Amino acid sequence: MLLLPKFDYEEPRSLPEALAMLSELEGNGKVIAGGTDLLVNMKKGTVTPAFLVSLKKVEGLREIAKERGGLAIGSHVTVSEIADSDHVGSAFPVLARAASCLGSPLIRNRATIGGNIVTARPAADLPPALIVLGAEAELKGKDKSRTVPLDGFFKGPGSSVIENGEVLTRIIIPSPPSFTGGDYIKLGHRAALEIAIVAVASRLTLDKPDGVIIDARVILSSVAPTAVHAMSAEKALIGQRPSEELFAKAASLAVGDCSPITDIRGGAEYRRDMVNTLVKRTLLKAFNDARDMKGGNA
Amino acid sequence: MKTYNVINTRLPRVDARAKATGEARYAADLSMPNMLYGAMLQSPLAHARILNIDTTAAKRLPGVKDVVTWKEAGLVKYGVSPARYDEQVFCSDKVRYVGDEVAAVAAVDLETAMEAVSLIKVDYEELPALLDIQSAMAEGAIAIHEAFPGNVSAEVHQEFGNFEEALKECHIVRTDTFTNKRQDGGFLEPQACLARYDFNGNLTLWSSTQSVHYVQRSIAMVLGIPVGKVRVVKPYVGGGFGPKAAVNAMEIVACLMSKRTGKPVKMVFSREQVFLHSRARHQFTHEFTTGVKKDGTIFALRNVCHLDGGAYSSFGIATIYYAGSLLGAPYKLPNMKYDGYRIYTNKPTCGAQRGHGGVAARAGWEQQLDVISAELGMDPVEFRLKNMMKTGDVTCNDFNMSSLGMQECLEGVRDGSNWAAKKGKLPKGKGIGVACGFFVSGAGYPIYRSETFHSTATIRLTEDGGAVNLYTAAAEIGQGSDTILGQIAAEALGVTLDDVRVHSGDTDFGVDLGAYSSRQTLMSGHAVKMAAEETKRQVLEALSEQLSVSVADMDIAGGVIVFKKGKPDFSGLRTLYVKEHRGWEDLPTGADLTFKEAARVAFITRGVIIGNGAYKPGELGGKYKGAAVGTSPAYGCSAQVVEVTVDEETGKVTVDAMTDAHDCGFAINRTNVEGQMQGSLSMGLGEALFEEVRFDEKGRVANPSLGEYRIPTALDMPNVRTIIIESDEPNGPFGAKEVGEGAIMPTIPAILNAIYDAVGVRIDELPITSERLFAAMKEKQKK
Amino acid sequence: MKKLITFTVNDIGYEVAVAPNRTLTQVLRDDLDLLGTKEGCGVGDCGACTVIMDGKPVNSCLVLAVQADGSTIKTIEGVARDDSLHPVQETFVEMGAIQCGFCTPGMILSATNLLEKNPHPTEQEVRQALSGNLCRCTGYQKIVEAVQEASRRMKG
Repeated sequence: MLLLPKFDYEEPRSLPEALAMLSELEGNGKVIAGGTDLLVNMKKGTVTPAFLVSLKKVEGLREIAKERGGLAIGSHVTVSEIADSDHVGSAFPVLARAASCLGSPLIRNRATIGGNIVTARPAADLPPALIVLGAEAELKGKDKSRTVPLDGFFKGPGSSVIENGEVLTRIIIPSPPSFTGGDYIKLGHRAALEIAIVAVASRLTLDKPDGVIIDARVILSSVAPTAVHAMSAEKALIGQRPSEELFAKAASLAVGDCSPITDIRGGAEYRRDMVNTLVKRTLLKAFNDARDMKGGNA
Repeated sequence: MKTYNVINTRLPRVDARAKATGEARYAADLSMPNMLYGAMLQSPLAHARILNIDTTAAKRLPGVKDVVTWKEAGLVKYGVSPARYDEQVFCSDKVRYVGDEVAAVAAVDLETAMEAVSLIKVDYEELPALLDIQSAMAEGAIAIHEAFPGNVSAEVHQEFGNFEEALKECHIVRTDTFTNKRQDGGFLEPQACLARYDFNGNLTLWSSTQSVHYVQRSIAMVLGIPVGKVRVVKPYVGGGFGPKAAVNAMEIVACLMSKRTGKPVKMVFSREQVFLHSRARHQFTHEFTTGVKKDGTIFALRNVCHLDGGAYSSFGIATIYYAGSLLGAPYKLPNMKYDGYRIYTNKPTCGAQRGHGGVAARAGWEQQLDVISAELGMDPVEFRLKNMMKTGDVTCNDFNMSSLGMQECLEGVRDGSNWAAKKGKLPKGKGIGVACGFFVSGAGYPIYRSETFHSTATIRLTEDGGAVNLYTAAAEIGQGSDTILGQIAAEALGVTLDDVRVHSGDTDFGVDLGAYSSRQTLMSGHAVKMAAEETKRQVLEALSEQLSVSVADMDIAGGVIVFKKGKPDFSGLRTLYVKEHRGWEDLPTGADLTFKEAARVAFITRGVIIGNGAYKPGELGGKYKGAAVGTSPAYGCSAQVVEVTVDEETGKVTVDAMTDAHDCGFAINRTNVEGQMQGSLSMGLGEALFEEVRFDEKGRVANPSLGEYRIPTALDMPNVRTIIIESDEPNGPFGAKEVGEGAIMPTIPAILNAIYDAVGVRIDELPITSERLFAAMKEKQKK
Repeated sequence: MKKLITFTVNDIGYEVAVAPNRTLTQVLRDDLDLLGTKEGCGVGDCGACTVIMDGKPVNSCLVLAVQADGSTIKTIEGVARDDSLHPVQETFVEMGAIQCGFCTPGMILSATNLLEKNPHPTEQEVRQALSGNLCRCTGYQKIVEAVQEASRRMKG
């Protein structure tokens, strides 16, 4: 039996109570949601918070709601709810796809979108999709409230802009423009229970079905301390007519935008080669979807 | 073939309902009043001298009842083979790998025990850690075991025929190398045990083990307790696959602390400790030089093998023999030269795992044979058919193929996979590959030199004639032996499986060497069959006296007495039975005399009816050194065809289809045989594509979790088309021989050969991760 | 400090005082004597600890018992109805889907939950639903076949 260290546990009944509690605890309290990352690390002894605060009783964190043409997803919505949601599947298939790749069905039933963001793991599945979607995170503290784009949210492995005492309450995803398509591909060893060797999320917006690319977002994951833009790939795509050659060119440029390391899951050279493959493949799929979706779909 | 009542069927397993409802109790589920919890202190260093161990703080912690080190455990050495008893319960002079046991604590709960462990202070003097065989074999390298300077844990040199001479007759001679990686057993249930030393000095250990017999002997020897006072009982076991076939330090420690405290002591491995304990598949580095004649006859093989053994010997001394001997079949091979070296390194100890020393050797050699058949312009299936052995052939290293359905297996997979329509005709990126293999059906000799019977069995009929109690020390570890032995007993006695109650895995029930080397169906099965036939004889003799019919004119089948020469009047016996069961509503009324009635008569006239069986193989094998390892009363064999798709832009391999034919002699339970085939193939697929135990620069296991040590999930394993071949083994009970380990042999090479067929690339190092294959394809493109 | 939690397990209500650092696996096994739920790894990698929590299969080793306050839990002991096995249990027993049995409780719970939500799953859907439950013994095939057969039997 793998044991957890001792800690105190609180279930505040409202968001203000929770925020006041976390503020008082300074760094000693951590929010526990699904626990699929936090509890594993506590069992391994790599984190030892004195207090765990559960927001189980706090309202307003568990809905997926339409908002201004886009979606607002509560931070405690589980990954399987996102993967199975009709709203998400129709409007933001790239997010549904990323959600369905995470871990296993058992993990997805507990892991939350909020947890997958605040743990700031370089290989996390949801952030790349959220970044290409232009998602923003609503952070609430005892005395302040702010909205931060996911793009730029992460600072390094385990580190993000979230401050002590702040709680991630909702993720807002703006409605996509017309003729937008996206894709997420995760490369792992097995077909389930994997942490990505490399993952890529891409999104393209065309001015018209047979037109040029007016917006391109390519996010590379597991090949840098945080998810990063393949900036030279994006630059090469904007204003251009989509074609397989263009995507191949963008893909090979993307290789220069990442700084993978060799670790237990894969080697740096292989990761660079896979950035090439996955960028090319996600762009192709994003383009095919963009062509077909007048109403906007990412 | 003869038809049977109980065997060759698809009867559900006798323990399936208990497992399906959560009633089955495994070692970690057991508890007793006043039980203490044990925790182990294990070395954080790969190689170090122990200068001092200070347990004072640990002993003082409230709730701690015992703290033990080598001072309390003693220094009696143990292991698997007496020729290599190189393990101690606790390290005394030095630690030899990260995980080596140094001390243990028993306390009122697990938290306290673990806290106490953290309070034990050990002063170490670090020594150079030898983390690979090159460093361990280097000139001047420190000796991990003083008795083995140069760190060669075992060395084997064998030659059959004359390799060099034979090469002269060969048209093609090739040398290729092959390496696999350390595997882990990957069983879902971590090792666990509960020890109880009672007030009469009797010790009982419940443990998740494959061999209650070997554990019993080891504990008795190490703790100095008479064997008769040590009882080892196996609860339900959640898989073993080899690593659980010998005693582990935790088992001995739990017994020691129970003896010292007078209380039951429970200890359970964490998943990380399972990896540190290992005793799983070695890393093998093979070099094969094979000579083949112009007409495609395989003629000569030189096999050089180096094993990375880890810090102790465990089963390794057998492994290094198997790595050579298991290439002696299934092809005719008159000239075979083998040089094997097992090297000590400062890493967890490797031992026996499904297929033992044969898996890596088979993988590398079957791939090389494919290269050769291509050079000859021969179809790989035809090449194998041309060279295969037949029933009655003897290998160059004296293994007697008393039954060998190799041809049927090969033709079965060739036709079952539609090989002819696919080989050479699949689109680029898709491939099909074939390979063969064979394995022992029980090691010919026990791991300790002895004249002991390998299996005993006792059958005791209940006095009311209602049930047949089968007692065996054989180990049901998930492979289905309880069901198989129950079926054999029922068939041989003439009753139904429902009439039999199997009691197994307890040293109080007899001697059985346990579940390893794929032995129980054949060996324990023989003992059970003997016991059943002996029981039947006693019942029939009792009837004979009562009915004046000779025993030879009677039989028992399907739960009734069979009278071969006309039914006598048995009404007298029935009346007696009915009189004794006044008040019962379900009395026998049919035309046949039932087994129940007959068994009752036998009790009344003779007393308790007990039949015993005992089995040991006869003299087996040749007279050369190491001849014992690989000998067996029978050999199973198999052939496999695998189809893959390779994603050329990522290197990912998807196994699309597997066709497997296995000669198990005779299938006692057809569902069971298929299950063993499919399970073996999943372990082979895992080893081929994903599995690898990795270390960091300090000798720590870098991936001691089932997240980073990847066994196949339900999405990774395709369906297997299983073909059962029954060659009717003369040395097996009802013609049965093994399936549990042999089935894994062809899997890795069939995948390797399919990958070559798909993308023209040969991989000589496992696992075939997408990265490794991608790099190899990239390399090929450059050329 | 221990917390008093109230939850329903296999249709029986319980009130238990638990320390915050105890997992649902531990409380089910040690406090409620429901030993059918196993621990294979403790970190969510293997699925041996699967239980159904508020209608969803989860790794109970990664649920704090205190988080289960107010929840409805089903363990393997709650699958059979009175005397008779659930069709999934029947087919597992009949079709050789059980070897060592250690993964079996988790496997059966994931499978029965799947059939409640998707009564006629394709083979791929079955494999997907079971992808968090590792098995080292069977190679999964007879498990998948048993689930599909159970689905057929539950139709009529």
